[in-house]
Amino acid sequence: MKKKFIPQNIISVLCGIASIFAFVIFWFIYTNGSTLGKMIPRPDVVIISLFKDIFNPIGQHTLLIHVCYSMYRVLVGYVIGSIVGIILGLAMGWSKVVEAIFSPLFRIIRPIPPIAWIPISIIWLGLGENAKIFLIFLASFSNVTLNAWTGAKNVDPKLIGASQMLGARKSQIFFTIVLPASIPQIFAGLQVALSSCWGTILAAEMVRSSEGLGWIIVTGGNNNDMKQILVGIVTIGIVGFILAVIMRKLEAVLCRWNKSGT
Amino acid sequence: MSVEQERNLIKCTHVYKSFQTPTGEHPVVNDFNLQAKENEFLVLFGPGQCGKTTLINLIAGLDNATSGAIEINGNKVKGPSPERGVVFQDISLFPWLTTMGNVEYGPKMAGMSKKSRREKAHHYINLVGLQGFENSFPSQLSGGMKQRVGIARAYCIEPRVMLMDEPFGALDAQTRYLMQEELQRIWQAEKRTIVFVTNNIEEALYLADRIIVLSNCPATVKKEYVIDLPRPRKYVSPEFLSLRKEITSIINKYVVSEAENE
Amino acid sequence: MRNKPCVYITGSIITRKRPQKVKVKFLKKFMKDNKYLLLSISSVLVVLFVWYLCVDVLQVTYQSVFPGPIKCFQTLIKKLYTSSPDGATLLQNLLASLEVAMLGYVLGAVVGIPLGIMMAWNKWVDRFVRPLFDLIRPIPGIAWIPLFLVMFGIGITSKAMVIFLNSMIACTVNAYSGIQQTSELHLWVGDVFGASDRQKLFKIAIPTATPMIFTGLRVALGTSWTALIAAELLASNKGLGYMIQNGSAICRPDIIIVGMLTIGVVGLIFDVLLHRVEIRVTKGMNAE
Repeated sequence: MKKKFIPQNIISVLCGIASIFAFVIFWFIYTNGSTLGKMIPRPDVVIISLFKDIFNPIGQHTLLIHVCYSMYRVLVGYVIGSIVGIILGLAMGWSKVVEAIFSPLFRIIRPIPPIAWIPISIIWLGLGENAKIFLIFLASFSNVTLNAWTGAKNVDPKLIGASQMLGARKSQIFFTIVLPASIPQIFAGLQVALSSCWGTILAAEMVRSSEGLGWIIVTGGNNNDMKQILVGIVTIGIVGFILAVIMRKLEAVLCRWNKSGT
Repeated sequence: MSVEQERNLIKCTHVYKSFQTPTGEHPVVNDFNLQAKENEFLVLFGPGQCGKTTLINLIAGLDNATSGAIEINGNKVKGPSPERGVVFQDISLFPWLTTMGNVEYGPKMAGMSKKSRREKAHHYINLVGLQGFENSFPSQLSGGMKQRVGIARAYCIEPRVMLMDEPFGALDAQTRYLMQEELQRIWQAEKRTIVFVTNNIEEALYLADRIIVLSNCPATVKKEYVIDLPRPRKYVSPEFLSLRKEITSIINKYVVSEAENE
Repeated sequence: MRNKPCVYITGSIITRKRPQKVKVKFLKKFMKDNKYLLLSISSVLVVLFVWYLCVDVLQVTYQSVFPGPIKCFQTLIKKLYTSSPDGATLLQNLLASLEVAMLGYVLGAVVGIPLGIMMAWNKWVDRFVRPLFDLIRPIPGIAWIPLFLVMFGIGITSKAMVIFLNSMIACTVNAYSGIQQTSELHLWVGDVFGASDRQKLFKIAIPTATPMIFTGLRVALGTSWTALIAAELLASNKGLGYMIQNGSAICRPDIIIVGMLTIGVVGLIFDVLLHRVEIRVTKGMNAE
């Protein structure tokens, strides 16, 4: 990221605020008093409700506690899925044999959305936390494997040739060349996976739960409470946004050798 | 053993290499024969796109000849190995490693202890004049500096043969002269067998013990010159200039006219 | 032993062995050339076999809870021409899904790609659109469904809107990335030759961005297909997702599995097709 002059930065932030503001105004106008407005609440209603819910419980917990429940499930599934995904993806990219064995299975499983796995996951894992974490695991696993796979496969052959010239054995080439070279790709995959997992929390919490952001939206839907649905959606959006920003900062630190690379 | 058979370190006999393209077989190296003695500075000199890089790759073992034999010290070349160090045209440094990391990579793979490989790497980093830049990443170095790291990296494994593929091609004129002098100095300090590829006649005359003139693609040996001038050579000395004139006119006669006749 | 049989037997042994030997050699060569393909096929077969073992032979679960491959295969065949229990045959469901997926996907690409290009090309567009984009992006497609249901009712539109959002985001992000990667150097060359802004955009930036745009299309296709199924699971009365939902509701796990596998296989086919197209188009456009 280039260092912008201060004035430039302020302009960007101002434009950002302006456009979000414009969107909110648009929303307000559209829903104020119109027929649509009878079903979709006005933005101020939603925002006030959001703040209220930080202190007043929905169901059994306040909004922030719901966020924590959801975060816990996402993190566990995300970490497990990422670890498995990195290992499998790197193995597939490195060894043609492993690729031949696992790629058809992977390519068939990947397009199936986690939400479609709900019945099977209930059969296998029951109605508790494990089924939900399993869905998150699927979301993260699919993305990370794909990226680790392409990352390992597309390592510059010249770098591999250089390492062979310098005397590296096959296992050394894997750990000292393929692995570091794939890190940017893997990281891109981790970012996408995090967003994907966060998006799947909604589906996961449809599996018989009594807390979490997904639950908020689902019960809102069941009770025809649009306000609650929108509070849930907005919260998901905000937390997801924060997560994405954190990941971007992490990437800037971990992959600094990749910046301004030739 | 006669005096002539004194240590032919590199021996290429009737080497032929062709690539399969959609339009048919494309020969790149044709009936290439070469003998190089120990500690000789050999320059392969030829026009652009004549197969010089392919030749380096073949001798290094990064590619296999379609037919013909390449032997180092009597043993057939089967793949890349630390006995043949390579300095690539596009440098191919490991971007996630610092200068020190790149240079000590070879000894590290060979299992050398941290202390001794650090010492060794320091020695070569100083030799190429990069002291102070041990902890810089390749993306932070200029082209000339990167190339010097490449040379230090290849030297650090102390190969029997150094193969250098137009290592100064991407540098500006001034840096290029500087690097030629440096290489000269390094080679005299620690003698190795070097096979150096270039298309610059001045560079060839400055550095070589022997110049092998290559034809247009497919590459084959056209002429050989033994350069007897004392080192370090002066670009403007009368002997240098007359040799240059002679070789240039021969080249124009054999190589350029060949290209025009095609 | 060899002495007893006369030439007649030896002769016939010799002549009979030759064609057999050739066959063996041919088979060996075939196996060697296609060893990866064979490995892939074998691994799928192994999975099917293990599935069969677990359910039909070892009876780890009841057939009614998690059916074996044979039952699923029978259901698959049956579903090809029966419309019970959800009201449409497999193919009808598949087509219904494809229809909506394609609609949303194409719309998303048509809007997303130019949007991404404009955002990367023009700073002001970027400043205004990006913040909104970044806020909408993390919201999962299916979260919009209750909202769209209210706005558009149960029908193609709400599902198509979800797909549209998904596809648009993927295409925009990749088109943006692609334009951003256009080397400054190439643009300067355009300047030297007196190219106008418009010419630089169309003749330099967009061709350079084409590989990434294609990646975006490929990703968008994948996510569109996935999002569609998700949307159908919640708000539809036909399509593969609906078929699965229906199967779940009436406790027919064999239908669920048939549905899931169809989704997977169709997704795989899409991926392979687009990959081929991508290779063809980007063959000449290797951006350095």
